[in-house]
Amino acid sequence: MRVFWKTVRDNRRGWIGWTLAVTAVASMYASFWTSIGKNPEMAKAMETYPESLKEALHLQNLNQPESYLASSVFGLLVPMLVAVFAVSAGVKAIASDEEAGTLDLVLAHPVSRVSLALQRFGAIAAVLAVMGTVLCLAIIGLRGPAEFPEVAPSKIMAICLQLALFGLFFAALSYAAGAWTGKRIAAIGTGAAVVVLGYLADSFLPQIEGFGWTESISPFDWYLGGEPLRNGVQPGHAALLLGLAVLLAAAGTWRFNRRDVTV
Amino acid sequence: MATTPAIQTEALVKRYGRSGATALKGLDLTVGEGEVFGFLGPNGAGKSTTIRLLLDLIRPTSGTVRVLGVDPRSSHELRGKLGYLAGDFVVNGRQTGRELLDYLGDLRGGVPRQRIDELAAALDLDLSRRIGTLSKGNRQKVGVVQAFMHRPPLLVLDEPTSGLDPFLQQQFVELVREASGNGQTVFMSSHVMSEVQQTCHRVGIIRDGTLVAVEDIDDLRKRAVRKVEVVFGSPPGLDQIAGLQEPSLTGNVLRGRLSGDADAFIKSIAGFHVTDIVSEEPELEELFFTYYAHPQEA
Ligand SMILES: Nc1ncnc2c1ncn2[C@@H]1O[C@H](COP(=O)(O)OP(=O)(O)OP(=O)(O)O)[C@@H](O)[C@H]1O
Ligand SMILES: [Mg+2]
Repeated sequence: MRVFWKTVRDNRRGWIGWTLAVTAVASMYASFWTSIGKNPEMAKAMETYPESLKEALHLQNLNQPESYLASSVFGLLVPMLVAVFAVSAGVKAIASDEEAGTLDLVLAHPVSRVSLALQRFGAIAAVLAVMGTVLCLAIIGLRGPAEFPEVAPSKIMAICLQLALFGLFFAALSYAAGAWTGKRIAAIGTGAAVVVLGYLADSFLPQIEGFGWTESISPFDWYLGGEPLRNGVQPGHAALLLGLAVLLAAAGTWRFNRRDVTV
Repeated sequence: MATTPAIQTEALVKRYGRSGATALKGLDLTVGEGEVFGFLGPNGAGKSTTIRLLLDLIRPTSGTVRVLGVDPRSSHELRGKLGYLAGDFVVNGRQTGRELLDYLGDLRGGVPRQRIDELAAALDLDLSRRIGTLSKGNRQKVGVVQAFMHRPPLLVLDEPTSGLDPFLQQQFVELVREASGNGQTVFMSSHVMSEVQQTCHRVGIIRDGTLVAVEDIDDLRKRAVRKVEVVFGSPPGLDQIAGLQEPSLTGNVLRGRLSGDADAFIKSIAGFHVTDIVSEEPELEELFFTYYAHPQEA
């Protein structure tokens, strides 16, 4: 576990910062519920928006707290922040270190590549779990003050769990691309491309005739599509995110163990 | 050799990528236990490639590698018996030397703090500073400490003193000698002849991916040409001097170059009054130059 703790230690500032940022952004939007969602003027204004735009931005039924939270808090900014964080952490795990030439030294020590890589990935998984928990507690804490007591804590936990798994998927993706190639740019590119395409596939593409199916292959849909704030944890989606994350991490680690470490 | 060699490679080939350059073209190298082995050769000859193969950072295209009797690929525990230092020692600069060394020591199952402090003191290294704020040479010292701190049976050093000032190069030479005295094996690539000359028992010369020569330093010393200067009370004639190359006489001073056995020369001047005699330590550098010369110039 030495590599795990060293990874946590080396990244503690950044990781704490990201956790606070994500929680702050989410809390801020959640506390706007009183002024936006509950405000009849706003609801009227929203009615004038074209239906397809609302659908694309998941802005339907904003006068219900579940919908409001799902779209404004958990709909765009928070998952984007989490995805960006996850990609950058995944890139750092192997590819950045390798390109900087600093991986050689650790690998010259009696630690296997598989163990090293998995401990580093494990540290990212751990920080995502912490991030999800902190965020969850903050939103649960805001139920009273921000006036959405009807949203059950269990539902908030559900969405935070799915959010953490969503982050884990992107972390695994960029980790795997980096572990496979040893190239930072490949890891960043893969992560960023899937974030963007995944978002489009869940928002605008389905509006195009014949592209409705793209929604179902988007990580954004696996995270939010089953409306965990209303319906609780979606086992299928959660398993898909987790399963793919495990597969990706395993594949990247497998390749990393076999290839040359470059300088 | 009765004991297992510290390093043994057979027909070792390394090609980078599928279509890339072939850096090693069938390297056969044996380094005995307890030896200090200098690995010399021009830039791009394949020294770092060989060293990275020994550490399992890269994998052979074909051929075999044995380090302390085992295939480096087969067990990460082998690396517990190794100390590695590259010339361009780079680490995350946001940690202090102490933090890094504690971590690396932990990975090795613990290294006494006293040992780390001793080494740091010997090298005049401040461990409480962030590595990023250290000069290149001081950063390299951190590398020296991590390579030597656990007294590994085998030290694998790739141009270890690059960036160190002459005083520290000398400190480094002392460390290698001490390690050698402890029975540790040292495999070291270097472009610094003086440190090779002062530490190595044997040198191997690699060029273009193959080992072109292995020489015993003592043999080289014997073969090497050294300058001699003899001051006489009253000088002999040049025709009376034997065994000296390019003899020249200026006043009472005889100068020339001596190679191999000195007996004939000494006997030939024995009948004269010698007031002073100076013979320089042989310069091996010149011998190595012949190996370094690029093919078209050779
Ligand atoms: N990652 C790599 N990809 C492709 N070719 C490489 C790679 N690393 C080294 N080479 C090539 O392999 C050959 C041997 O390089 P190596 O680094 O082993 O030389 P060296 O003897 O250590 O040289 P130097 O004295 O400059 O350190 C060179 O021709 C080099 O261009
Ligand atoms: Mg080199």
